[in-house]
Amino acid sequence: MSHALHRHGTTEQLQNDYTFYARASRYVNREGCGPKLRKILSIALEEKNLVNYGSSQAGKSFKAGLKPDEYAATLDKAYGVAGCFSDKEAVRSLLKKLKEADTGISIVISGLIDEIVEIARGLDLKPHTAFLSLGVHGKRSLLPEDEIQQITTMCGHGMVAAKLSKAVIGRVKSGKMTPEAGAKLLAQPCPCGIFNTDRCEAILKELKENAPGSAKS
Amino acid sequence: MKIDPEKCIACLECVDFCPMNCIAEGDDVVSIDQEECVECGVCLHAGVCPTDAIYMPEESMQYPRAIRAQFSDPGVWHPSTNQGGRGTEEMKTNDVTGRFRRGEYGMALEFGRPGTGARMSDLEKVLQALIKMDVELEHDNAVFAFLEEPLTGKVKPEFRNEKVLSAILEFKIREEQLEQVIRQLQPVLAEVDTVVSWGLASRFAEDGTLPVRARLEALGVHARPNAKINMGMGRPLCEP
Repeated sequence: MSHALHRHGTTEQLQNDYTFYARASRYVNREGCGPKLRKILSIALEEKNLVNYGSSQAGKSFKAGLKPDEYAATLDKAYGVAGCFSDKEAVRSLLKKLKEADTGISIVISGLIDEIVEIARGLDLKPHTAFLSLGVHGKRSLLPEDEIQQITTMCGHGMVAAKLSKAVIGRVKSGKMTPEAGAKLLAQPCPCGIFNTDRCEAILKELKENAPGSAKS
Repeated sequence: MKIDPEKCIACLECVDFCPMNCIAEGDDVVSIDQEECVECGVCLHAGVCPTDAIYMPEESMQYPRAIRAQFSDPGVWHPSTNQGGRGTEEMKTNDVTGRFRRGEYGMALEFGRPGTGARMSDLEKVLQALIKMDVELEHDNAVFAFLEEPLTGKVKPEFRNEKVLSAILEFKIREEQLEQVIRQLQPVLAEVDTVVSWGLASRFAEDGTLPVRARLEALGVHARPNAKINMGMGRPLCEP
């Protein structure tokens, strides 16, 4: 699955949006990987600015109520640990600790390419492979508005509906829902925990501030 | 997925959660358009139905319809590959598998992403074009279990109309094929009846640069500023 790729937005809009994925390979190191994945999870949980985490095996994310112990218990039958950050320094700190832990499990970070490469250089890590997005092709007329895509593409499996995003935006703009509550609601369908509620909250807040009739507009 | 009309109180709480926008209100009850439903389970897992009227009927788990959930609900595993999700390990474990070496690029065309869904038949035109292009198709992808054999580019007839949240064609090319593949794929993708998200995997050079970015720019192909990056921390390391 390429679920952390194709997150929509401009360079400015994609700042402070990072996902991490530790993935054991079925061909190399998946057998008995549970303890290593639990070690990686414990390192990630040490980061104060971990925004969200989860997995499809666990069936839900932190924002949908997944507890660390519940998550850890699934890792003997799983092959990865996923989560997201909105703070570059947290990503740097995570990678530093993972390097020291030397689990041998592959680590994938998504974010702005130049930022990730710069972090890697500072930690004397050598990035191996990049997966670039060449954008959306085909029948683009089917795509929703830009701000909706910024929200829905934070779940790469497509579980966050455009219709739900639109409804939440409407409620936030009208003052019936806070951006924080809206972001939490939108995170519910994404079990992998890479839906960045900090980024979503910022998007909703900006839309509210720029809505007709708001103080800023 | 279905909604039990005896239990449904038409509160409409589930409607907004459907990624395919196929839950609608009828005469006092709400129902799910079975032709458009991809069996992703979002409406059920959302837990918003106050009367537990939403359920997965037995027919949703029978072939050919069963592939809808396999390609749409990340918690449902593919029997053909014995793993969940819609793709493969692709570049995520490339540091230990060496699947994409220097001198090669990986590509992934994800049909129906973002958010539109795809019929399995949407893959056919592009797959037929790829077969003629001398690319190395990734047979470990779950899509392959549903293609006609020997490979013609056609989906098996019973699965052609099945709708899924997304399905991926993965393949590998040699570096020197990049321009030819891009130029040949662009017009074919333009004719697809849904959206297709296009990804390209490339090794970093020894000096830590990513030369493919300049190559894409020279070809007039826009690559987004964000990407997934395998940090090279897997062991044993393959092709440092």
